[in-house]
Amino acid sequence: MSVKRNADLGRIPLLEAIRSEGKAWDVIAPRYGVTNPDPPWKTSLMAMCECLSVRGALPALERRQTEDELAAAVYGEVPAPERKLLALVHTLLRRGLVVEGDLASRMRTVRSRLEAV
Amino acid sequence: MQTAHKHGGDGHAHKAAPTVEEITDFEVLEIAVRELAIEHGLFTAEDHRRFTEWAESVGPAAGSRLVAKAWTDPGFNARLLEDGVKACKEIGIDWAEPTGFGTPSDYMNFRVLEDTPRLHHVIVCTLCSCYPRPVLGMSPEWYRSTNYRRRLVRWPRDVLAEFGLILPPEIEIRVEDSNQKCRFMVLPVRPSGTENWTEEQLAPIVTRDCMIGVALPRPGRTADVHPVHKARRPVQSSTQHGRAAE
Repeated sequence: MSVKRNADLGRIPLLEAIRSEGKAWDVIAPRYGVTNPDPPWKTSLMAMCECLSVRGALPALERRQTEDELAAAVYGEVPAPERKLLALVHTLLRRGLVVEGDLASRMRTVRSRLEAV
Repeated sequence: MQTAHKHGGDGHAHKAAPTVEEITDFEVLEIAVRELAIEHGLFTAEDHRRFTEWAESVGPAAGSRLVAKAWTDPGFNARLLEDGVKACKEIGIDWAEPTGFGTPSDYMNFRVLEDTPRLHHVIVCTLCSCYPRPVLGMSPEWYRSTNYRRRLVRWPRDVLAEFGLILPPEIEIRVEDSNQKCRFMVLPVRPSGTENWTEEQLAPIVTRDCMIGVALPRPGRTADVHPVHKARRPVQSSTQHGRAAE
């Protein structure tokens, strides 16, 4: 029996670059003596998944199935919730809901904003 | 949460830091994609605020209160088994939050599975990660892992043993598979030694794992700490290894 695949498993350069930095929360939190098990953006990520589903852009079940496929084939060694974030963004990019160039540009803008003093 | 910890050779203790002193690309990525999604009209900032507030408000304390009340109030126990969503309202848990019809991931059909001395329930979602979030909060990572989801339904005794829960063969184990239409929670057997306890005394021993069914409540056990046991029959693939209680 063939299994229908939802995810486009091709690697995405922007996400590969982020992954290769190795800055997952379970790596960096101990360096700073932080005991909170979750990064500060985790709840926002969970809420974003709900928003995408309730508005019909990405139904919850489709998202979880593609997340499983991407976890097995592409982001398996990335810890959660970073894996969940990468899988979500991967899916949005592959479906054309967000464009990779726009995202890279916005990331630069966001970083500048967060680092402003 | 801030807790004292020790590090270095001098063994001094101090408060844990609240967060890290660097901005990672993961943090930047989450903000950037959210901003673009809002700008593209995939959802609104108000949607996001509402779901974030809801997600921060739910947790397993609600389920603990449900169980403690069921243990001390036979009438409530019966109503909880009859109609979980309706009974939840009695203690202020509304499954319709935050939209008026729940969330896309929390269907308003909640069933409570009552354990007996001869029957033990444990819940899973083999398809994805369905979980009774209004009463238990966000699911733990291991609950969403393929190891737990695939193996529990095949080898429940082995997987429960990896959590440190070893049940004698005369106790039947029933695995309930959550799905798109229904959410489940386990109502464990009230442990001996708690006969005169109040709801307030009982609730702390009803931890999240007890309501999933991978642990049993007992006096003095108020936190879910998993022993590390090597998996028997682990799911093998190029990227998935190890035990269920990872």
